[in-house]
Amino acid sequence: MVTQNGIKFAVHLITNHFGNLVSKVCENLLKRGPLSLEKLVKFTELTKEQVKNSLLVLVQHNCVQAFTFDEGDDREGAKAITEYVALFDNIIHRLRFPKFLEIVSQELDDECVELLEGLLRDGRLTLKQMVDRASQGKENPVAMDFVQENLRKLLAVRYVERCPDPEPFVSKPVKEETTRKRGAKSAKTDVVPRQTMEQLIMEAAVLGEGIRFSLPSNTESNADGETNADGSPMIIDGTSQAESTLWRANFEEFIRRLRRKALIENVRARLDDGAAVILSAILESTKTAEKKVKMENSVPMSLDTIFTEVMKTEFGRTMTIDRVRASLIQLGCPSRMLEDSYSIDLKNVLELARNEEVESIVLKRYGKDAYRIFRLLSKAGRLLETDKIADSTFVEKKDAPKILSRLWTDNYLHMEKLALSTTKSFLLWKVNNPVLRVHVLDEMYHAALNLSLRMAFEQEKDEELLTIPKDKIVGPIQKRYKRLRNVWLLLGSSLMKLDDALMLFHDF
Amino acid sequence: MSRLPSLKRKQPDSGPSSVALTDHERILYNVIRSKRDMGIWTRDLKRESNLADNVVNKSLKSLEGKKLIKEVVNIQNKGRKHYMAAEFEPSKEITGGDWYSEGILDVDFINIVKDQCLKHIFRQKVATFDGVSEWIRKSGIFKAEITQQQIEEILRALVLDNEITEVKSTGFGEFASVPIGRVCYKCTSKSGHKGEPKAGAMASVPCGVCPRISLCTPDGIISPGTCVYYEKWLDF
Repeated sequence: MVTQNGIKFAVHLITNHFGNLVSKVCENLLKRGPLSLEKLVKFTELTKEQVKNSLLVLVQHNCVQAFTFDEGDDREGAKAITEYVALFDNIIHRLRFPKFLEIVSQELDDECVELLEGLLRDGRLTLKQMVDRASQGKENPVAMDFVQENLRKLLAVRYVERCPDPEPFVSKPVKEETTRKRGAKSAKTDVVPRQTMEQLIMEAAVLGEGIRFSLPSNTESNADGETNADGSPMIIDGTSQAESTLWRANFEEFIRRLRRKALIENVRARLDDGAAVILSAILESTKTAEKKVKMENSVPMSLDTIFTEVMKTEFGRTMTIDRVRASLIQLGCPSRMLEDSYSIDLKNVLELARNEEVESIVLKRYGKDAYRIFRLLSKAGRLLETDKIADSTFVEKKDAPKILSRLWTDNYLHMEKLALSTTKSFLLWKVNNPVLRVHVLDEMYHAALNLSLRMAFEQEKDEELLTIPKDKIVGPIQKRYKRLRNVWLLLGSSLMKLDDALMLFHDF
Repeated sequence: MSRLPSLKRKQPDSGPSSVALTDHERILYNVIRSKRDMGIWTRDLKRESNLADNVVNKSLKSLEGKKLIKEVVNIQNKGRKHYMAAEFEPSKEITGGDWYSEGILDVDFINIVKDQCLKHIFRQKVATFDGVSEWIRKSGIFKAEITQQQIEEILRALVLDNEITEVKSTGFGEFASVPIGRVCYKCTSKSGHKGEPKAGAMASVPCGVCPRISLCTPDGIISPGTCVYYEKWLDF
């Protein structure tokens, strides 16, 4: 789901990274859905050249995908039309680049980090461009097989992938649906189909598993020859397919990795280290079996297999099989499993984490009584009457309606009036989770935008400080300098933390 | 006198025969008594009895003097004068329930009971409902009797406060003394201190708690650059 503030934040990121022209094109795509070059020119009031170049930048950075479809009656001779769709998720992922790099630096070596850094900075690169990039500022050019080896490492863990089909063909029914929906005035109805459209186009563009994560075969044989013969530097001839193959970071795998981490950390906080170790072992051993990011349940495993995996970790070695079984029950597995296959409800773990995030907002914004009321309604999952709510939460009967109304006014609760007669009526309340989640996510995008804007504001305010040489930073200037540094640290870390919550609500 | 209700339609002699009542007093008394433990608001009383205001006021005073009726606080409308026949105890709807004292929610008492339950659960690491209620009964901390239902309500509120968590025993480790599958309670905070749960990512930034977030725009009167909450937050 893409909300209004989500679009604003995405446009803000694009403006920061690529300037106003590119962001204008991007904003139109985000707000209006897929558009052709001609329509983009019309809506943005830019020249064709400007729009074209902006699109090239956006495609280069994986923020826009082109696709083709047939327009007109099939018998009349269909005309192929090309349109562009903004990839909202990929735009927001730009905020997470430091997190992606951190993952690689923890799991692989510095060369791989450097390679990924180049891909994140430049969007898409060929092997040759990667070699050039690695050679920059170095006395001797870096050998291609060296870069290739690092690329192979990144491909093996799927952190890098071959770029998808630049312009996939999308069949007509999809197009018809979006055209119809795009005509609708309401922003809310406009939001949903575009996401589906985005997904369908990306599904059409994505390459088969085999080719997506493999080096071209001629490079493969060259590389093999290299390692075996330990010899000639001549690797790829000019016509090689490797020359033109474009590579990019595979955001999906990073998000999957971050999701696993979030799952484990949530379990650790809510249960204990033992449960976290078990979940970690299960997820680690079955990660290649994960087909999509939003896996609802972990891959079923027998107790013996789980125990074997758990034993591999240092903490796991301290656990007995009984303790593992007890932890699995804590993790929500029934105590007696049929055929001994344990599967953990991952969706529920994340759902609890989302509840916690929303409840924490309610507590801070509306106070302890509201928190208790909200949790009661959230747990009940159905309509409850005002007095009943007051009784169950120890809130003064006259105060409960005020708190409930405030939560309702701010879209945190759903209310229904039950009229018994013309004079007597009851108010019933409940937490409408699907609606509330969208609302909270939208507020989070708004908050992320504000944090980012405030960072820019602070920088602008104290711009001259950044130009002062280090040895001149003394006295009152030093105080201001320190303040600016602290402000930046706080704003930056808060934004990264908030981004974890954005992923929790949108990507996981 | 029986607490069982007399029916709404009263016999003229349904009042205590030993006390002499005027006709007006008798009419009023019968209406009030017919409302049993719910009592009646003076304005409804006037409407139902069809008597003049001054007559009603005078008769009510007289009935109160004869200790046949009493004034009670109605939790729903504390400002309204509410009368009930002397033999009835106000219902929960009128008093607000066990946790209300003279029409006011007894927050101090509630907090003491909560605190004691929380301390007990923390000491025990894991406690069942039976364990908590037995401990309260034996400990003699509270002079007033606390019913099973009240303890249940307190535990439920502690769960809502996120001070304790409801879990099912795994029969392992700290649950060793509790049969597998039995519902029990654990302190949420590992240190056992009462306190607010850890603030989430959104609640830790000014916008997360901002009541005006819907009015905030990049170039508006309320904006991240002019925000007073931000000023306060970034005041190093």
